[in-house]
Amino acid sequence: MAPLRKHFTRDLDSLGAVFDLLALFATQEELDTSSQHDLALALDELFTNMVKYQPANRNDIEIELRAEQETVTVKLVDRDVDKFDLTAKQDPYLGRSVKKRAPGGLGIYLTKRVVDDVQYHYGDRTSTITLIKKFRRRHV
Amino acid sequence: MFDIRINEHNDVILSGRFDAAQVEKAKAVFDQIKETTSVDFAELDYISSAGLGILMATQKRLKDTGQKLILKKVSGHIRDVFRIARFDLIFDLE
Repeated sequence: MAPLRKHFTRDLDSLGAVFDLLALFATQEELDTSSQHDLALALDELFTNMVKYQPANRNDIEIELRAEQETVTVKLVDRDVDKFDLTAKQDPYLGRSVKKRAPGGLGIYLTKRVVDDVQYHYGDRTSTITLIKKFRRRHV
Repeated sequence: MFDIRINEHNDVILSGRFDAAQVEKAKAVFDQIKETTSVDFAELDYISSAGLGILMATQKRLKDTGQKLILKKVSGHIRDVFRIARFDLIFDLE
């Protein structure tokens, strides 16, 4: 089927609409529940970061969802932003000491763990994050 | 729709989707906790790192006074997220 593409207002209140788009896509492509959950988490974490770290930017954030035979490709496009390569970000401390733990970096870490590949491209002041996730169709 | 309430046993009951848009609502409740408290996840459908951050900050604060959060009825995808974040190392999971 054709990819789903939509622009979202840069606001945390848009998260509900982001989840709605993913739910529509999951129904259309018969995505298994586990993959849908994983993609919801990854989309949430990346969208939230884009809102939090570029609050003055008035541009919408574009999300595209595309399914092929066994993979889903998700693209998040953020225009007129500084470069931030999340793939180069160091993993956070996840040891036993609660004092040493910090919330920073946990969202990117979770994203990397729930999808199969994360790619980052920056050009013309535009960040494009691409997520690749292998999935099973529910009816198979 | 996210909701947070405290029941008659002083347990925190979470329900719905706990994402970054719900942080202020959740923080207002967790900031009031001063003693060891159970948090019930049975009705929670989803949690992101924003929700994990609130739990972690509360656990840090409580541990300073010898208290803690106990996370109960965690299942499904939320348990998977806790496993990835290694919450088993810093919380009692029941």
